[in-house]
Amino acid sequence: MSGQGMELKLQIWRQANAEDKGRFHIYHLSDVSPHMSFLEMLDVLNEQLITLGEEPVAFDHDCREGICGMCSLMINGQAHGPDKETTTCQLHMRRFSDGDTIVIEPWRAKAFPVIRDLVVDRGSFDRIMSKGGFVSVNTGNPADANTILVPKQDADRAMDAAACIGCGACVAACKNASALLFVSAKVSQLSLLPQGKPEKAQRVLNMVAQMDEEGFGSCTNTSECEAACPAGISVSNIARLNRDYMCAMLCSEEGM
Amino acid sequence: MKWLLNALSSSVGKKFLMAITGLLLCGFLVAHLAGNLLLPAGGDLFNDYAKKLHENEGLLMVAETGLFGIFILHLYLAFSLTWGNNAARGKGYAATKSKRDDTMSKTRPDKWMIGSGIILLLYLCLHLFDFKFHRFGMDQELTALAGDSEAVTTKVAIHVLKSPLTMIGYAAGFVFLFAHLSHGVSSAFQSLGLSHPKYNSLIKYGGLAFASLISLGFFVVLFWAISQ
Ligand code: FES
Repeated sequence: MSGQGMELKLQIWRQANAEDKGRFHIYHLSDVSPHMSFLEMLDVLNEQLITLGEEPVAFDHDCREGICGMCSLMINGQAHGPDKETTTCQLHMRRFSDGDTIVIEPWRAKAFPVIRDLVVDRGSFDRIMSKGGFVSVNTGNPADANTILVPKQDADRAMDAAACIGCGACVAACKNASALLFVSAKVSQLSLLPQGKPEKAQRVLNMVAQMDEEGFGSCTNTSECEAACPAGISVSNIARLNRDYMCAMLCSEEGM
Repeated sequence: MKWLLNALSSSVGKKFLMAITGLLLCGFLVAHLAGNLLLPAGGDLFNDYAKKLHENEGLLMVAETGLFGIFILHLYLAFSLTWGNNAARGKGYAATKSKRDDTMSKTRPDKWMIGSGIILLLYLCLHLFDFKFHRFGMDQELTALAGDSEAVTTKVAIHVLKSPLTMIGYAAGFVFLFAHLSHGVSSAFQSLGLSHPKYNSLIKYGGLAFASLISLGFFVVLFWAISQ
């Protein structure tokens, strides 16, 4: 492959810790194979930095196959880079051309503070989940598959919502840093199913309250989240959350 | 009723109120435009309508106060939500690029609703100054034309709309009204949770059509007055 690779100019956000002000650093990387994934390209850069005795660039990753939601980079102003329904780890260098400058930034939101370089703390999502992103009835032993009948359409919609990997791209891409797409997916995946119905009202009220508490913005229906979501979560989930919230507010005994 | 206040003061609750007040203001726009279209309809239609409107001052006061309340709430929510949204981002990005498929993503009206809203607020000040307060007696001719009557007559309307500053200000106002409504109407439906695959394109294009018709309607009144 040597000699056929791309020359890239990488403009990467470097920040030593949460308190550090941070700044962009320019790195020149040559001989980048177009078959590499984006994260492999960063691995190569880090190997070179380590050889030079410099600090490697910190970035989040785990599965590297688009299911864990750990990778999280703003690439040239786009969450997870230019491809639709693709995580950073699944993005390939063939999407870039020789001589390109690539700007790499962490997710930016008050609720996602930068820990180091490109790594942000997404604990706010966990705290939202802890307020109702689960079913708390004791289900006992596994029941027969057909004891609770679920209409196919509902099962499909719940499954679509459950595809959310919690990466935070919706927050990163939204001009208001709103987490409503994430919260709506987590509310929908349960409220659509019979098992999630008993706690439907308190779930939506509590999760929205925690979302506000964490300092996420509000939804102004620009649908940037839907376009940036690597799992293809639709904004129709946001409408469902709005409906659920209205019902919980007006017709349930929650919040009294 | 504390539960209601609590629920409505969340980000989702505020968006409900934003949507409801926005749609109510759209209702006002329809009524206002219908009245104004009596101007180009000709004859004494407009004068009669204006007189009727002012016959029951008590009722008019109640309606105006209600409208003012809705407007202030819409305005307050806009500023409060925008303030929260700006704070939620914190440090901004060096580069941003939309991943949406539609072209002109940067200039799409949904990205600057607060901007178009503020321009509309300025327009509204000009409009009230012109017709409700008759330019505070600065324009002698207008003051004479308006006389003691609270009701705007055809003559007053033409006089005001023909002044160059007003012409430009109003035309700009109608353009920004279109921009604001082109996102606002369909967005209100989504905020209220009214979304369904069967009706979504109706809501989207219906909102655009509504914005176009309202703006066009006011342009018709303006051009008619200029041609008089
Ligand atoms: S590393 Fe797991 S989704 Fe990218």
